[in-house]
Amino acid sequence: MFVEMLPAIAFYILAATAVGMAFMVIASRNPVHSVVFLIGTFLASAGLFVLMGAEFLALLLIMVYVGAVAVLFMFVVMMLDVDFVEMKQGFLQYLPIGGVVACILLAEMILVGAASLVNPGAGVKFAEDGTSNIEAIGNVLYTEYAFFFEAVGLILLLAMVGAIVLTLRKRDGVKTQNISEQIARTREGGVELVDIKPGEGIGS
Amino acid sequence: MQEFSFGQLSFLAGELVLALSVGELLLIGIFVSKYGASIVRYASIAVLLIFAFSGFILNGTGSAFNGAFISDDFSHYVKALIGVTAAITLWFSRDWLKRENLDQYEYSILMIFAVLGMGIMVSSGNLLTMYVGLEMQALALYVMAAFNRDSLRASEAGLKYFVLGALSSGMLLYGMSLIYGFTGTLSFAQIAIVLSGQESVNMGIVAGLVFMLAGLAFKISAAPFHMWTPDVYEGAPTPVTAFFAGAPKLAALALITRLITGPFGEISQSWVQVLVVLAVMSMIIGAFGALMQTNIKRLMGYSSIANMGYALVALAAGGIAGVSGMLIFMSIYLVTVVGVFAAIMQMRTRDGALEGIADLAGLSKSNLPLSLVMTALMFSLAGIPFFMGFFGKWFALTPAFEAGLTWLVVVALLASVVGAFYYLRIIKTIWFDDQAHTFVKAPRSLTLISSASALLLFPILLLPFVTAPARALIEAAAASLF
Amino acid sequence: MTDGLQFIAFSTVNSVSSGTQLSAPLSTQSAFLLEYLPVVMLFAIGLVISLAFLVMAKIFAPSSPDAEKISTYECGFNSFDDSRMKFDVRFYLVAILFIIFDIEVAFLFPWAVSIDKIGVYGWAVVMIFLFELAVGLAYAWKKGALDWE
Repeated sequence: MFVEMLPAIAFYILAATAVGMAFMVIASRNPVHSVVFLIGTFLASAGLFVLMGAEFLALLLIMVYVGAVAVLFMFVVMMLDVDFVEMKQGFLQYLPIGGVVACILLAEMILVGAASLVNPGAGVKFAEDGTSNIEAIGNVLYTEYAFFFEAVGLILLLAMVGAIVLTLRKRDGVKTQNISEQIARTREGGVELVDIKPGEGIGS
Repeated sequence: MQEFSFGQLSFLAGELVLALSVGELLLIGIFVSKYGASIVRYASIAVLLIFAFSGFILNGTGSAFNGAFISDDFSHYVKALIGVTAAITLWFSRDWLKRENLDQYEYSILMIFAVLGMGIMVSSGNLLTMYVGLEMQALALYVMAAFNRDSLRASEAGLKYFVLGALSSGMLLYGMSLIYGFTGTLSFAQIAIVLSGQESVNMGIVAGLVFMLAGLAFKISAAPFHMWTPDVYEGAPTPVTAFFAGAPKLAALALITRLITGPFGEISQSWVQVLVVLAVMSMIIGAFGALMQTNIKRLMGYSSIANMGYALVALAAGGIAGVSGMLIFMSIYLVTVVGVFAAIMQMRTRDGALEGIADLAGLSKSNLPLSLVMTALMFSLAGIPFFMGFFGKWFALTPAFEAGLTWLVVVALLASVVGAFYYLRIIKTIWFDDQAHTFVKAPRSLTLISSASALLLFPILLLPFVTAPARALIEAAAASLF
Repeated sequence: MTDGLQFIAFSTVNSVSSGTQLSAPLSTQSAFLLEYLPVVMLFAIGLVISLAFLVMAKIFAPSSPDAEKISTYECGFNSFDDSRMKFDVRFYLVAILFIIFDIEVAFLFPWAVSIDKIGVYGWAVVMIFLFELAVGLAYAWKKGALDWE
């Protein structure tokens, strides 16, 4: 009996964690804590993916979002010079409008959920043979979805160019070591023999 | 699964050229240090023009990658407009970028990326294609808005555009996931089949469609999703604003057109209301918001909101007439808006660029050609009869009138009367106020573009020779969707 | 256990997620989830141990804090600054470049698994993808985005 209930129990625990953590992201006073709660949300969502049988996506979520995106968020939070008290006031100030928007979205989601009960859509398809999750993705991602895959590659390239254009700046007066230049130095370029005439010295 | 063949690549030849050249130009730019920016710019202009006309030259109609990428008369026409506008904007941004010390080759690269994204958007036959294209153009535009990164206003514009754009992408994605969930397919053609098989429209599909339209309304800055427009128009570098005002709007409108004629053509009752609301709000907010503006770029922002409203009126009418009305309107709008921004960029004194409407005061005394150009452009935007702008509105509103949306046409006419007020105010400032500034001599590219655009707005000059073939082209483009 | 494998094999790309909870057979799902029992146990043990340390410290350790004891300690001086300081924007660039290459690597995992099925076409597709990012790498490298100065 308990084993039968297991998926439902796991689903409710993970879903509740995800929603609770997501709420804490916007409710916590300190942005650094927000990022930590965000990581919690990602982890709970990864659990939900596992529950749906999408193990590869679950691990990808942890690898990319927890491993990289959350770190990026942390850097961004640390980069900002934010006055936390002021930010908190902003949150309360916009609460009514945000609440209205949230209520509308909630109502729509309930409607959509009710509609899906009446007409449950296309449902889940199972792969017939024993191909694993990651293999099933691999079989279509590079063939049927090749166009999107290449387009995503271009978007990544664009993201790289954009990030460099916006944030990279050359600083003046930084002393850097150019190793190849040092190694390529020859006696001719590095040593200067000066014939000093008596009583005149070098230069002026 | 359809087997891959090199033949289907001819349908996306234009995009392939852009994608290949973007990589090469990036490397040329980084390894050629001296004239890198100029080489990349002129090469990009050439590539954009190739992209623009590749559709017409190859003239392949069909679809590639299991229907994910559609090539038809509609996509050819829209891509030609997008490519040419982008090439022109890139050409005349040269001088401005040099003066502001921003002349980096990345600007051209980002422009190509944006156009590539728009090309994918316009040709999309699949929810994924649409999203990938939209994100590609949006990412490039976010960076371009903040391209002048040392300027606080430009950074703010970029950030604002990014945050609101990301929000709209989220809404779009949510809508797409609902559509996918309830129809079980990503392909536009399959969605149309699924929907035509249902006797009543599922609530989830309607919600998904509304979310998608809301996300796209952000991109064309239709009210009530217009908040970013004035700020981004004002803050972004002027050539970037010139680009924003034309091509991306057309691309997003083309995408909306594809959605409402293709997958959701069967359930027009679900989206006509949405489009009508967007159109009415855009026209009213665009008209009244512009009244109090003192910055000409902000004013153009509100003007574009109002103009998107007119385009949506044509789309709300639906049918071949509605789509071709939208295309005619947008073609004329693009010609006008490129000219207007070329004129705005000529507003430069020795101390720098000016953007105030008051700075135009008495322009007729110091710079007669520019004042004539500006006057023609403003008359056309206001829709004064026998300028092209008048015909644009005529073709946009007639289908709606014929479709029985009379009250919508009345609102549009009232909004354009209010709009005419602020366009005429600019003309009054130019001709009847005391002289404020003497502008420095503008580079040839700007004067050429603004004069050409102003000349194109006199229909008498080109009525029989150009408009007839152009209309035939547009009608064919619109018909290819049905 | 074969039932469990069936469920794992559910292909995310081809399917629709709505109604998973309702339509999937419960027993299959339970069997599948039981495979994850060790992971759950690991989490549970970790949670119990870390909580135990905290709780035991709270209960058994003597604690009488005052203002001096809990203030920030900086080598005998009063602290000069807030412990939070602004990070350099360069960290951000490093992080974003890391994300991009992280995603690139993530895309290679399914490829490695299914390379024998997708053939030359799939291989070529991934090579083009890698080339796109190699262009980006060359750009970032030459531009100096990978140097810290």
